[in-house]
Amino acid sequence: MTDLIFHIFGATLNSSTPIMLAALGGMFTYYANIFNIAMEGMMLMGAFFAVYGSYFFGSWAVGILFALLSGISMALLFALFAIYLHCDEFITGIGINMVALGWTTYALRSTFKVKGALISPRIIGLPRWQIPFLHKMPFLEEIFSNHPFVLYLAFGLAFVLDLLIFDTKFGLRLRATGEDPETAKSAGINPAGVKLLSTILCGILSAMAGVYLSLGYVTLFSENMSNGRGWISLAIIILVKGRPLSILGLSLVFGFFESIGLILQHYKLAPQFASMIPYLATLFVLYVYGKQRRRTEW
Amino acid sequence: MSSVFIKMQRNSPLEVYKALYDYGLGSWYSFSSSLNAATPLILTGVSAAIAFASGVVNLGQHGQLLMGAIVTAILGVYLDTWRWVGIPLLAVTGGVAGALWAGIVAAMRRFYRMDEFISTLMMNFVAEYFTIYLVTYPFLDKKAYVPATKLIKRLYFMPDINGLSVAFLVALVVAAFCHWYMRTTKRGYEFRMMGYNVNFAKIGGCSIESNVTLVLLYTGFLSGLAGSLLILGGTQHRFMKGIGANFGWDGVMIAIIANNSVIETILYALFFGILKNGGIGMEFETSVPSEFIVFLQAVIVLTVVATRSAIEFYGQRIKSLVKLRKVVTKG
Repeated sequence: MTDLIFHIFGATLNSSTPIMLAALGGMFTYYANIFNIAMEGMMLMGAFFAVYGSYFFGSWAVGILFALLSGISMALLFALFAIYLHCDEFITGIGINMVALGWTTYALRSTFKVKGALISPRIIGLPRWQIPFLHKMPFLEEIFSNHPFVLYLAFGLAFVLDLLIFDTKFGLRLRATGEDPETAKSAGINPAGVKLLSTILCGILSAMAGVYLSLGYVTLFSENMSNGRGWISLAIIILVKGRPLSILGLSLVFGFFESIGLILQHYKLAPQFASMIPYLATLFVLYVYGKQRRRTEW
Repeated sequence: MSSVFIKMQRNSPLEVYKALYDYGLGSWYSFSSSLNAATPLILTGVSAAIAFASGVVNLGQHGQLLMGAIVTAILGVYLDTWRWVGIPLLAVTGGVAGALWAGIVAAMRRFYRMDEFISTLMMNFVAEYFTIYLVTYPFLDKKAYVPATKLIKRLYFMPDINGLSVAFLVALVVAAFCHWYMRTTKRGYEFRMMGYNVNFAKIGGCSIESNVTLVLLYTGFLSGLAGSLLILGGTQHRFMKGIGANFGWDGVMIAIIANNSVIETILYALFFGILKNGGIGMEFETSVPSEFIVFLQAVIVLTVVATRSAIEFYGQRIKSLVKLRKVVTKG
């Protein structure tokens, strides 16, 4: 039983990472006051190109490089439409998500000649890190050790970004642009530039979330493999109003629910109900927050 | 623009477009099957258009469609009545199922102040898994190759006129009704006012919350109807895994490029139907897989929307510059 609990905690860290990365990415655009719902698409593109690079060049590093490039180009596309051509951000986001979905399913078929999922030994996954001093404590080792290295970076990043947003000049500028672009302009900040930068950062982090999905979590690519994680991360951002450490906390909650679902599949529960759990959890969290809000308003 | 991408895949763009045309529009057969392909798109599109025009972010078309489809598919197997009672009854129950599914979201919004934007999305996934569960365990047809329900009774198949399914006509009539409803009735006016300016509508005496609930139920009904027409009038006549395809998101995109107007939505839905149907033909003729169409649609949407908003924005800027100059020279 204790084994199972430790396993769940380990799996929680694992499944919360992609959600958290995407949410941290979306945090930038949240503070820049861009209603960005394209995380889903950026994540999917990242996942695809990570597998692409890893498959053809036999190295996870190239995979990450490709994914980051795809993330940046998706972000530039978003910025082109939403910031420079003044399209509605919501519409652009939906468009970008559809482009990503269409392109990845299409390319999966035309490049790899498979439909549904690409599973191949040629895809090199991310290396896993052993935490050296944990050998003496087997329980903690079970939880914290032997994860893909991006996981550790992601958790560190949450703390770094908290500092970045609230304690640096860049963070201040970012928030100022989001609050009131005209005032920011009068203070000598280029709002469009800051928005562009925040979109690109969002693209990079969302693409990393995709890398984690396709090279870390599992080593394969399947159609629409982000499967709503971008939407969940958006829900997280809106709920916690963008604070990075709260994002970390709430992502862990979602990771926990997701891993519970995975564990329950081994028992009697039908797999479809287990897969439903993260989405139901989102609804539940939404309910809790809605209740809180109602209390403060009345 | 899309031809660039086709070129990149070493296919001749012209050939692709020709195949698209031949199979989408070229003959009565392909045209009528394009119209059939457009049927669910019209309904999900109108559903999204009405929701957006009223300022309600209903993105749950996918889930509502699935619920409508599954209810129709299951009832269609077990229901025992005459043909002309059964078909409308099944279609309406499908729509009601979609409306109830949206009604859950409406209730959550009304009583717990949960944002419908996220909850409709999440309900999509829940509906997806729930329907897959239903077709894999309780209602599985053991003879089918993929998880699917049994075929609905043959007498409930919607008739077709020369290849054109009656389902298309039903969708068209329903869409026309929606146009009339939004344009001429008091409620429709209230809905539109809510979309323009919530505060204005509030001051004008609309009850926002109950109107939002109504809009959700109404648009849910439309999506659910799309699902049940898919079962009654489509080609499979059973609920299969993946039957919802991309209709929900396509509907959303169609509503967006149509600027939330019902009539334009119908036209764009026809256009998307032609593309979809042509895409299948394109796969036969050239080596471009039909998945390319999803990508092509997204590119079209982005281009149309971008051009429109860019023209609007820069047009306004030029206008104001001209005005400014006039004022300056006069002074």
